[in-house]
Formats: sequence, structure tokens, C-alpha cells
Amino acid sequence: MPNEDKLKAGHKKTEAGKRLSKMMINDYMRLHQKAGEGAFVVWIAIVVPAELFSGFENVVYGVPESHAAMSAGKGVGPLQCEKAERLGYSMDLCSYARIDLGTAFDGGKDSPTFGLPKPHLLISDNNNCSLLVKWFDVYHRTWDVPHFILDIPFCYEQQTARDLNYISSQYRDLIRTIETLSGQKFNIDRVREALEHTKGALTNWKRFLKTAASRPAGLTVFDSFVQMAPFLTSRGTKALAEHYRLLADETEENVAKGIFPVPNEKYRLLWDNIAPWHQLNKMSSRLAALNANLIAASYTYCMGSLEGEFDLYPYDGGDPLTYLARIQNFSICPHGLELRYQAMQRAIETLGIDGVIFASNRSCKVYSLMQMDMLKRVTERLGIPSVMIDVDHADIRKYSEESVFTRIEALLEVIDAKRGAQTPR
Amino acid sequence: MKNINNDMKDNKAKGRKVIGCFPLYPPLELFHSLGLVPVTLWGLKDSIPTTGKSDRHLQPYACSVARHLTEFLLSENGAALDGLFMYNACDTLRNLPEIINCGLADTGRSLPIFKIHLPMAPREQTESRAYLRARIKMLINELEEAYQVTFSIEKFRQSVSLYREMRKLCKALETLVANGRMSYNEFSRIIRDGWFVPAEDQLLALQKILQDRPLSKREHVPSAVQSRIVVSGILPPPLHMIQAFENAGLTFVGNDIASQNRALFYTPAMVDDPADYYVDFYNHHYPCTTLLYTADRRVAAIRELILSTRAQGVVFIGEKFCEFEYFEIPHLEKILKDMGVPTLFLEVSIDDNDYSEAYVTRIETFAELIGSANQGGRYAE
Ligand code: SF4
Ligand code: SF4
Repeated sequence: MPNEDKLKAGHKKTEAGKRLSKMMINDYMRLHQKAGEGAFVVWIAIVVPAELFSGFENVVYGVPESHAAMSAGKGVGPLQCEKAERLGYSMDLCSYARIDLGTAFDGGKDSPTFGLPKPHLLISDNNNCSLLVKWFDVYHRTWDVPHFILDIPFCYEQQTARDLNYISSQYRDLIRTIETLSGQKFNIDRVREALEHTKGALTNWKRFLKTAASRPAGLTVFDSFVQMAPFLTSRGTKALAEHYRLLADETEENVAKGIFPVPNEKYRLLWDNIAPWHQLNKMSSRLAALNANLIAASYTYCMGSLEGEFDLYPYDGGDPLTYLARIQNFSICPHGLELRYQAMQRAIETLGIDGVIFASNRSCKVYSLMQMDMLKRVTERLGIPSVMIDVDHADIRKYSEESVFTRIEALLEVIDAKRGAQTPR
Repeated sequence: MKNINNDMKDNKAKGRKVIGCFPLYPPLELFHSLGLVPVTLWGLKDSIPTTGKSDRHLQPYACSVARHLTEFLLSENGAALDGLFMYNACDTLRNLPEIINCGLADTGRSLPIFKIHLPMAPREQTESRAYLRARIKMLINELEEAYQVTFSIEKFRQSVSLYREMRKLCKALETLVANGRMSYNEFSRIIRDGWFVPAEDQLLALQKILQDRPLSKREHVPSAVQSRIVVSGILPPPLHMIQAFENAGLTFVGNDIASQNRALFYTPAMVDDPADYYVDFYNHHYPCTTLLYTADRRVAAIRELILSTRAQGVVFIGEKFCEFEYFEIPHLEKILKDMGVPTLFLEVSIDDNDYSEAYVTRIETFAELIGSANQGGRYAE
């Protein structure tokens, strides 16, 4: 059993955490309020470049994946999943989708945010996954709402100019579609302004993540999981840029003052997959009790980077659509194995990672189906001990804490053994 | 069932250059015209006793199609291939090329893998023809270079004619099935076997079958067989399940199986440019859950299939873990219910090898339901 005294360490509410809660509540309240006042409402996949909507006077957006993550974090994931399953949606489908279908078809009941206001347009994007297109198609058919699909070529290697042009031409189609449906005029200068805010936000996001390099690390990955949320709901806003600046400042100050989330940090770990939303507090406390700290995740270090990279790719003030098309593949799922490996190698080397936890997630095949080869590669080529655990990111019914921790503890033993073997006698 | 391993060996022994293709709708005519033998790597289960090699690379929640495909490629059969082709379909398949590369590297092998991105946005929303054209042209260049061959429009035309004829004969067999003159098992076997041999051999085999069982003109009109069903899914049901349907007196009069009718439905008119040909081919393809831009046409296609075949029920064969199919089934079931068409959903997973009492009972109950509907009248049109 973990030592109870140590359970208090790990993921704690910081000033930035308190600000974040307010920000998220405001985001959802504003969304409902503006929708109620007649704004044009779009639902988007998380990777749709939301800065585009700032180009319109009165377009607001809801993000079903983000809402599903919040629902899972607040403990209503299984309840909403079951509603979808009763409607005939298989338990094998992604738990975000099931949470969202359950919520939407029950009028937002049991949702921490009263669901999302009904959309005038659905915008999916197959670069994280194609499944999401099918999921949005369900609403398209049921509610007869138009559905715009951004078609993004998968990256086995760095994006080509041909793909970039194809993507930016689709943004232009999307803008025309919104203009036609909403009757509003698009202003590219407003997008430029939004991108400057995004640049500020992402610069500070990377600064925040960099505090993981200190020993002990200045953050736990659980902090970065929760702090990602406003990037999805407030992308391109001044408020987000300011929030991430304060987050990075606060975390750096803590490091300078010697305040660390896992003060006796002995194991520095990396997480590969979506956050286990239903386990944030429990998992971080239990890890902290083992003096283990998850200090990085492929899920969060990809934000603001190009495919296969670890560093920021900032907006250069040029054509907004070109920049957005180039950064379209920022999230991890559209990257092939080679690219993911490159970025992970950089993370491991930059942050001094001792071990990697590959969370095999049956809800998210795009993220997970390649982890067996990634694990082999990381272990064999980089000599970093790694383990595979089973986690569904949003459906706690498919998670077993005990078997997960048995494996994590085994990983820590392997790290110890490796250190023992390396210590000169 | 013919052993496809022998076909693969035979291809090799005859010095053919074989290109394995996945998923179901590759540009077969193009490969054929370049002197390659395209084999569509689907329906492999019967030739693969275990998935031991695949299990070292794929988690058990990958669908059976992906697991069998991986096993096939990493086994001795895979060594008979000279290349692989794939386009973007589902979330499971898009990770496979690199996984397969890793698996091959473990055994000291490698294969050239040709990939294209097939535009998936609705055609009325996004003008993607130029993009697709460019990808097809690039593919031709890559193939020419890899296999030291030269594209010829004349040869391409001949290949198109061959495949058009072959698809036409496959459709004729479907009519035999609908009229109770060929079992659906036999049909499925013939179509599946055809994926693994040169198109010329498949054409000869089909011609022979139709010589023995010629179609009369009358047979193109839906026949009067009773208890008529449409079957829908990625792969046909396993043989023992088909047997259970046929034992229950159900006839497969309509086909919405991806590896069968969805793949065989459409051959474009000949044009002077292979890129234009494939723009047409993919634009007008029979709606499939794996071709995202066809989604809005799917309901209409199923409805049309039911009406034209006068089917009395629809059976959905769910491939476990196939999200593409599973998102659409509840909606289709609802629409069919509103039409008064009974549906049956059966899930097939990698472990379903045997006859199971549970599904036999469900099939029999479904057959009874359709039988009583026969007496009660028709569905809403
Ligand atoms: S399958 Fe994965 S990428 Fe797609 S919506 Fe679900 S969690 Fe997100
Ligand atoms: S059966 Fe479905 S999940 Fe499997 S390969 Fe085909 S489309 Fe993909």
C-alpha cells in the first residue's frame, strides 16, 4: 500500500489552477450565453484551427472532445457512455464519442456544463482520427445540420508543400461556408491578431513545460493535462496568452523557491497517450507516494510543434492560413511512428527521462496502435525501460488501478536495477 | 475454400511481380497495366491459423482484418510479395505501414510500400480532383521507377476492359445467388479466391462458372424466392454463419458487403488519362463507411438496394472494433425500422471460428419474423 503521508504530494491546486477553473467556467458560460443571443454556433474537432472563428463578428465554438474530457474528469463519463450504449452505440467506440452522444441525445443532462448549445455547423477533421467524422455525421443526420469535413493527409514524414496547399484551400472553403451560412463577413486581420495571441500562449506553454527539466521537476504531467483545456476552448485569445504567461511564471518561481510537486523525486517518467481523465488525482498521488513523477507526455509536448519536433513553431506574422495549415498536424495522432519516435527521443534526452509508460487505450486506436513497436524501439535503441498499461482515457469501467500499478511498480524496479548495474562497484 | 498460400506461391513461381493492396478499393487496373499482379489482401482468415506474429505488433483491440493482414505480411506468404500499396481508410489501417515495416525489419526483410492519400472531404464541399490527380501521377512515377516499367495508355485501356468484364461477371453471380441458383457461400468463396490470382485467371474462372450456369434474361428481374435478405458489412459472414442463414431458409438477394458489391459495383467509362479515370472511380464509388465523402449517399443506396431486390430484412455483420461501421448501424437500423424492414445485427470477432447455438437461434427467430411479415404484407416505401 502507498504511504498515506506521501499521498498529499503530487498534483496540487496552484494559483494557475484556480484561475483555470474560473476560465473554463467563463468559457462555457459565454458559449451558452452568446448562443442564446443568436451567435452562429459551430462544433469542432479539437484540431480545427479555432483562430479562424475570430475572423467573424459573432461565431462561437464548442469542442465536444474537450467537453467529454471534462465530463470524464468530473466522474460522469460512464453515466453518459451508458446512455449512448442504450441507443445502440457499441461499447467499443471511443469513450469521448460515447460521452458526447449520451450527453447530446439527453439534452445536456448530467453534464458539468449543461452540454453544448446546439450547432449550426459541424466541423470535423480527420487528422486526429477519422472516427470523429463518423461521430459528427451522427448529428449531421439526426439534426440535419451541415457537416464540413477537413481532410488532412496523414504524416508519415514532414508535411509536403502539396499537402499544405491542399489544407489551406480547405480553410478557404470553410470560411466561405461560414460566410454563406451565417451571413457574416470574414476579416483575416482579426485572425492575424488571434495568431499573435496564440504565439504568446504557446511560447509560455513551452516555457511552462520546460520546468520539467529541473531536478526535481517543476511540474507533474497532470498539471499540464488540466492546463491544456483552455487551449481548446480559448484558442487565439488574449486571456489564454495571459493565463499561460502567469502559469509559466508561477511554475518557474516555484522552482526558484525550491517548491516541487514531488520533492523526493526519484523516477522521472514520460506518459504516452491521452490523459487518464478519471484518474488524475489518484494516479498522481499514488505515483508521488512512490517518489515517481510523470514529468512529460507526448499528449502535451506536441502542442505548438511541428510533426516530429519538440520545440515551438511560432507564428511569423505571415499569411495566417499558411501558418495554420503548416501547424495543422501539431497533435500527436496524425504522426507516423518515425515522427513520433523522433519527438519522443528529443523529450527523453532533453528532460532526462528514466522510464516511459505507454498507456494502451482501446478507445483511441490512432494513438495506441503502434505503441508496441514504439516501446520496443525506445527500450532497445534508447535503453529506456518502458511498460505498457491498459487505460481508457474517459471510461473508468475499462480501467483497473491495481493491475496498472503492479506494472508501474515493476517499471520502477527495472529502473532501479538499471541504475544498480550502472553504479561503479 | 482454395488455399491462397498456393496462389501466392504460384504467382512467385511464375515470376510475376505481385503487389499486395489494402484496403478494398485500390487502383487495380493501373497495377495490372504496368505488368504487376495486384492482390487485394482481404478475407485472409481461412489461410491464417493464428495471429502470433501480428500479436507482437498489434493490440487485441485491432479488428480481425488488420490482425490477419499483418500476420499474412509477416509470415512466409508475405515473402511472395514484391511491394505493398495502401491508401488512407480507417484509423486502424493508417498506422499499419510502419508497423509492418518494423515487423519485416525484425525478420531481416523489407518491402517497398506505396501510399496515397485519397481525399475524403465531400466533393460538393472541397475541390479535391487536382489533388487526387497529382497523387495518382506520382504513384505512376514511383511504380515506374521501382519496377523499371513504363506506363502505356493502351495497356491501361486493356486492363480497364478486363476489370470491367470481370466485375460484370461477378455481378452476374450475385444474380444467381439472389435467384437461389448459387449458395452465398459459394459466391463468397469465388469472389475471395479471385482477389489472389491474376485478373485473366479470375475472368476465365468466372466465364466457366457462367457457362455451366448461364443466366437467362428473366433472371435480372428480382425472383420470387421467399425470405429475401440484404447483407451488409465489411466482410461476408463466416461460412458457418452463412450456412445457418441458408438452413433457416433465407436467401441473400442484396449485397452491401465492402469486399463484394461495394468493391465491384462501379467501373468508370474509359478516358485518356488514368488520373481522370480514378477521379471518376473514387467519386462515383458505391457508398462505403470507409469512404467518408460517400456517407450522405449511403442511406439512399441501402434503401434502393432493398427496394430493387424486394428484400424483406437486412442483416448487419459487425466486424468487432470496426468503428466506421459501428457508428452508422444504429442510424440505419432506425431508418429501416421506420420503413418496416426488420434488421438483425450479428457481431463477428477474431475468435468466432465455430458454429454457435446463440446466433443460430437468433437467425432462426429472424427468419420466422420475416416469414410472418411475408404473410402480413409489405414495408413502407
Ligand atoms: S479516437 Fe482518439 S483521437 Fe479520435 S476522438 Fe477518440 S480519443 Fe480523440
Ligand atoms: S474492418 Fe473496419 S477497422 Fe478493420 S480495417 Fe476495415 S475499416 Fe478498418
